[in-house]
Amino acid sequence: MTDRINDYVDGVFKPYEGAKSVAELKADLLADLHERYRDLKAEGHDDATALELTIDSIGDIEQTVREVSALSRTLERQLVTRFDGTDQTGGDFAGTTVRGGKFSGSALRGTDFSRADLTGSTFRGSDVADANFDGANLTDVTMTASDLERSSFRGATLVRTDVSTSSLLETRFAESALVDVKFRMTDLRRTVFDNCTFTGVDFSYSDLRGLDLSGAAITGVRFDRADLREVSFRGATLRDVSFRSWSRKYRNALRTVDFDGARMDKLTLAGLKGLGVDVTGVTVMER
Amino acid sequence: MSTSKVTSDLLRGNTDTMVLKLLSESDRYGYEIVKLIAERSQGAYELKEATMYSSVRRLEADGDITWYWGDESQGGRRKYFRITDKGRATYARNKSNWEYAKRVLDTLL
Repeated sequence: MTDRINDYVDGVFKPYEGAKSVAELKADLLADLHERYRDLKAEGHDDATALELTIDSIGDIEQTVREVSALSRTLERQLVTRFDGTDQTGGDFAGTTVRGGKFSGSALRGTDFSRADLTGSTFRGSDVADANFDGANLTDVTMTASDLERSSFRGATLVRTDVSTSSLLETRFAESALVDVKFRMTDLRRTVFDNCTFTGVDFSYSDLRGLDLSGAAITGVRFDRADLREVSFRGATLRDVSFRSWSRKYRNALRTVDFDGARMDKLTLAGLKGLGVDVTGVTVMER
Repeated sequence: MSTSKVTSDLLRGNTDTMVLKLLSESDRYGYEIVKLIAERSQGAYELKEATMYSSVRRLEADGDITWYWGDESQGGRRKYFRITDKGRATYARNKSNWEYAKRVLDTLL
């Protein structure tokens, strides 16, 4: 049973591993939880109740971890910029072909990459805010731990693009078919997806609060352990979509999600029902 | 629902002072802090682990507390928190601010 406490905490911390301060927080938290679990057992609670009360005692740890890790990642970004990066602020790469380009740790704020072929390029830890990627080919591009705030991706080719752990505040995606794109552990609270489809996309661990995915076609997508409060799937089509996490907080958040008029396959529907979601406004699709 | 939300926000807003009070009595580790707060409030306020660690991080950054490794065997090494002189001054100031606010609120509510 105590393995499940370890599993739960492993899951919460997994995307943040690496930062020393985060590792310390995790160790402190685990020691506390194991002691609480022993106390609860000693008070006569059964295993399942003791586990549930233990997990409940954690509270919004994701927020605390984010505070800790955001700080260390900012430091990392500055270091990379200083040693490896180039300054292309406001540069013009429109329509160019830069396959396998290395842009890591670079200052690319406001750069124009529209219609550029950037296949296989790397933008790790870069400042790409306010950039224009409209119509660009971003197949196999890595844009992790970068600042993509207010950038535009209208009509971009997004296949196996990895933007995990990047900041996507007010980033705009439009008229795109996103395939196997990774958005793990990103902040998508004010990201816009206009007329996009999602296939094999991974939103695990991300903050999607208030995101509007109404009417979207969503196939083979993972929303595991994401924060889904007030997300709208109104009129969306969901196939093989994964909503997983056994925390009470996740289940409570799912109850605020709007599935009205959505269509989904039996498996996705069964998963949501199992998490106690009200699926009265949902239409079941035959495969 | 809104009553409990207001109450819990009011309590949470005083977390730093609660932690300083506990540390002014003795050095303590994380779980001890949340446990003592539940005990002393007779279960009326359950401080979450996340809120507590967020508070000690803040207090540490402000120089109100420091920490050191204890040498306990059960459950591995424990991080003990200790109040600084600055922390004692912060506690005294917060406490008197609260006494003042309480008097004012009592005349208004």
